[in-house]
Amino acid sequence: MLGWLKKKPPLYSAVQAFNQVSIPAANTPARDCHYLALDLELTGLHAKQDHIVSIGWVPIRNQQICLSEARHYLFRPPTSVGQSAIYHGVHDKDLKNASELADVLLQLLQDYAGYVFVAHHCRLDRAFLQIAYQRLFGKAPNMQFMDTLNIEWHRMQKQGTVMKKDALRLPQSLARHKLPVSAQHHALEDAYGCALLFLSQLKKSHPHITLGDLLVQSS
Amino acid sequence: MEVAEVTNFLKQTIPFEQLGLAQLAELAAHFNVYYCQAGEHLEINQERLLIVRTGIFALFSDQQQLLTKLEEGDFYGYQLLLTGLADNDRLVCEEDGLVYWLPSDVFHQLRYQYKNIDIFFQRLFGRRLHQYKEQQSSRFTLKVADIVQARKVAISGEQDVQQAARLMSEKRVSSLLVEDDNRLIGILTDRDLRSRVLAAGLPPTTAIKEVMTPKPYTIEKHAYLFEAVQLMSRFNVHHLPVVDQGLSFSMITATDIIRSQQDHPVYLIGEIHRQSSLDGLEHCSLQINNLAQILGKQQVPAYEAGHIITTITDAFTQRLIKLAQQELGPAPCVFSWLSFGSQARMDQSINADQDNALLLEKEPVGDVADYFSQLADFVCQGLARCGIKLCPGNIMASNPELRMSLKGWSGKFSKWIAAPTPDAILKSTIFFDMRVVEGSKGLFNALQQDILARTNNSLFLMHMAQTALQRTAPLSFLRNFILEHDGKQKKGLDLKKRGISLITDIVRVYALANGVLEVNTRSRLQQLAVDGVLDSKDTQNLCDAFDVLAQLRWDKHLHDLDQGHDASNLLDPAVLSGLQRHQLKDSFAVINAAQSSLKHRFCKEV
Repeated sequence: MLGWLKKKPPLYSAVQAFNQVSIPAANTPARDCHYLALDLELTGLHAKQDHIVSIGWVPIRNQQICLSEARHYLFRPPTSVGQSAIYHGVHDKDLKNASELADVLLQLLQDYAGYVFVAHHCRLDRAFLQIAYQRLFGKAPNMQFMDTLNIEWHRMQKQGTVMKKDALRLPQSLARHKLPVSAQHHALEDAYGCALLFLSQLKKSHPHITLGDLLVQSS
Repeated sequence: MEVAEVTNFLKQTIPFEQLGLAQLAELAAHFNVYYCQAGEHLEINQERLLIVRTGIFALFSDQQQLLTKLEEGDFYGYQLLLTGLADNDRLVCEEDGLVYWLPSDVFHQLRYQYKNIDIFFQRLFGRRLHQYKEQQSSRFTLKVADIVQARKVAISGEQDVQQAARLMSEKRVSSLLVEDDNRLIGILTDRDLRSRVLAAGLPPTTAIKEVMTPKPYTIEKHAYLFEAVQLMSRFNVHHLPVVDQGLSFSMITATDIIRSQQDHPVYLIGEIHRQSSLDGLEHCSLQINNLAQILGKQQVPAYEAGHIITTITDAFTQRLIKLAQQELGPAPCVFSWLSFGSQARMDQSINADQDNALLLEKEPVGDVADYFSQLADFVCQGLARCGIKLCPGNIMASNPELRMSLKGWSGKFSKWIAAPTPDAILKSTIFFDMRVVEGSKGLFNALQQDILARTNNSLFLMHMAQTALQRTAPLSFLRNFILEHDGKQKKGLDLKKRGISLITDIVRVYALANGVLEVNTRSRLQQLAVDGVLDSKDTQNLCDAFDVLAQLRWDKHLHDLDQGHDASNLLDPAVLSGLQRHQLKDSFAVINAAQSSLKHRFCKEV
């Protein structure tokens, strides 16, 4: 009767297992590390009261985005998607095939331990993930985040470029890097856009830049 | 899971545009996406397909020669994937960009699943051979289906060997497919009847299935010919049943394969020179279209095909002159048989007409005039019988005005050069592309040197240049394409008038201004580059544009032949692929640039 408990490791231990795999040392060349670009769509901006509507991710290994592992999951929020639907194009009717948040968060821990997580303006994504893990797993994993927005800001500061309003937003940044810009407010499209931007930033950095240095730029 | 940015791009990229959304998403899921920075050398020795998403990538040969530039929607790596043969190319990123990489197993699966995609890459590979691998013959791209006919001669295994022998004699074949309920169960050959029936003393009533070769090796209809050759040599068999979608379709024999190789132009030219009658020559000429189609299937590039077709016209001319002399006796004086226009330039296609004349040692009068009149009539009419149409403008040796001595010709040319009028120039341009086909080379050289010594005359060159500038290439592509009617057919883009001739005309002016002896447009360009008249980049561009246009025209002619039409130079722009459109657009831009520098150099206000 309690067989399902044996099949899945207790969620808490999944976080512990994740935390046991550390990310590469700070002096590792940044180009040699593994990354997971991800993006969340949310019902609002407050991690404590709003919910995750969807998550999308693509891994980067050897400076290549592996589309075979591109994923996109929709979750059913406790309250109706309501007003915020306009921002991410997700409607209640799309949620029929929704996934369980806990399953997806578990998959993330199991498949991408040792990865550096990349997001554009990662603060919100990180906060929502931390709280979701805390609620569902009893413990938040130590996820190392890299912020493409901050790297971009750092890059432009260094070039002495005068930044216009919105210049650091993902579509504007992609356009500046002459990268294709796709539909916004779709978690996978934005994760992919973020991955493209990161590849370009990585290439435009010093060829031997270390993970540690890049993380400094990203903070 | 699908990244719309990638699938939307694929949806607009040939040849993937034909796939459904679900298949596109499945395909895209195998991609790896890589960002490349200007100056970076791409790793191209792995078996994988590269698709350019953004940026510009320059492809260099191992001799550091720029072969092409790859841009959005272009591919690389299909050669290695299709043939297993790697080039020592280098692919260098010129402008930052994104590329997609598709693993080889997925590429092969895709080709296997979608015939059109397979054909697309085969063609791209063929085209690549045209453009960059001039010396390489592509005999290996010939397929079994290209040489065997749908001619299935089959018999049931229950019937006896006498019935088999009768069927073989009746159908004039050396082997039979043995079937049981439409299923191939064996083959029976001449040799089986000899060794397994007659030599073994078996009666004529022996059942076929007792003496046939059961479970024979078979070959797919769409397999490459070399695969059939390989099977035959590996298993020492001379007959292979050809199957199409599991059903037997025909039989291919070692003899078929040898015969297919005999369509080589060398055989036809040899045969032309063996003919002793007009009928025989006419019979040979029937093979020209067939030869053209085979050249097409073997992906022989247009300029090489033009060279071959011209060589065949030359052979007919030479043989006809021999035959005429057998009838009329030896010539009363030294002569040179001249050709003009495309025959002189060695870029004839299958719809060319005659442009020829006679240069004689002395002014023709009396018996000498009669002799050459008869010889010219014999040759011109003979050529017409061999499918090389009489010249509508009467530029033929049969026209008495075009049978002259060196002095006569020299006078004619010097009049055009010294006192050029636009009208005279327009009519005479064709004469300035001239080559000797038969007879005295020395006499011809004397005339050519005489002409070239005069042509560096600025007034004459200005008129020549103005004539060359009268027609322009379509400026804006597709939108306001200048389409023309040819009377018979529907309208289209005239590849000759709006393209090939424009380049020929430009190059001729430079050649005449600089005393270049070459007549072939590509050779003239090379000589002009060597002499430093044109810079090597302009030369390469003009040469590439010329090749692209000539290739399109040649492909069009082959298509016309295939459809049973007369070869026409009018092309419907709608049938072009994205790649071709791109190339055509580039070619027109090159022509426009070359025309303006021609104008600048020769048409200055005096």
